[in-house]
Amino acid sequence: MDRTPLVLVVEDDLDILEAICDALEANGYHVARARNGAEALERVVEARPSVILLDLMMPVMDGAAFAGQLRTAGRGDIPIVVISADGNPRQAALIGAQGYLAKPFDLQALLTQVASMTSHV
Amino acid sequence: MNAPGSRSFQPSDGAGEAPEDAGDAGRADHLGFVAHEVRNPLAAALWSAELLARLSPEERGGARGQKLASTGLRSLLRLRRLIEDHLLAERLDADGFAICLEALPAADLLPDDPGALGAAALEADLEPGLLLEADPTLARRALEGAVLAAAREGGVVRVEGRRWAGGYRFRVAGARPVPGALADPGRGSASDPRGASISLAVGRRAAAAFGASLRVEGDAFVLLVPVAYEAAAADGSPAAHGEGEPR
Repeated sequence: MDRTPLVLVVEDDLDILEAICDALEANGYHVARARNGAEALERVVEARPSVILLDLMMPVMDGAAFAGQLRTAGRGDIPIVVISADGNPRQAALIGAQGYLAKPFDLQALLTQVASMTSHV
Repeated sequence: MNAPGSRSFQPSDGAGEAPEDAGDAGRADHLGFVAHEVRNPLAAALWSAELLARLSPEERGGARGQKLASTGLRSLLRLRRLIEDHLLAERLDADGFAICLEALPAADLLPDDPGALGAAALEADLEPGLLLEADPTLARRALEGAVLAAAREGGVVRVEGRRWAGGYRFRVAGARPVPGALADPGRGSASDPRGASISLAVGRRAAAAFGASLRVEGDAFVLLVPVAYEAAAADGSPAAHGEGEPR
């Protein structure tokens, strides 16, 4: 059985999405991609991620709405790390996220945070 | 803000949309939006450079290296447009831009490379024979803002130019203007992968600064520019209608 952690990256900016996924894949993680909250809900149903990296401001369904629907769907135990360009960590706390990284964060900080949240896998 | 000695050129029918600058709360909201817009391509540029630096020389020449290099370049170009737009807006708001009015053919305002603005093509139909009274830098930025907005969906942009009500009227058509298109964008406004999310608002400021006007009329953007004089008389000299006076 493959024990490699799966990280779901939810980000509407394609360049950001691809750069983060590249960094994660280069460090041995499986990666799933979504461009908004609605797509992310579909990805979660397809395969349960070990951690979700979540942008907040997105079209169709934003990060806060996604987090609410995730809880409603009974998957609120999946840890969320908010990745935001807003520079306001309170927003992460408001949606019940376990972590917060302000863009443009260091990639190493991202990898450290993901590693700490997937160490139990 | 108007250029010293310039006239504010407003259409006589009062049609269209010409928002005023936002107040303090609106400005704070707009600056928050600009910060958000800058951080995204800055992050992508930084990370792609960092990931590229970790690759071996052989890997850099491969598909992954090429993809990271493309991401970095695209992000920097996006960042450049955002920063240039924001700095121009700040200078205009602070009366810090030295306006220089010149007599220009309408064709001089057209963008050199419409493809770089995201347009599939630019079709121009300009009535000749007039020289516009405009600051070249600001007039080009105003028209560029309209072209960028019209090229938002990547289609063909059509620019028509006609003499109108004592001035010159550019009509820029392509993607339909969104509601409130000319206002300073704020929280929740749409991002733009070309870095053009504030270009239209900056174009509005740029136009107003030299006495022109950028507005929305129906399904198109309209730039109204004062006319200096007819382009040339039969002897080749400018057929002036009074020095510096519009027709």
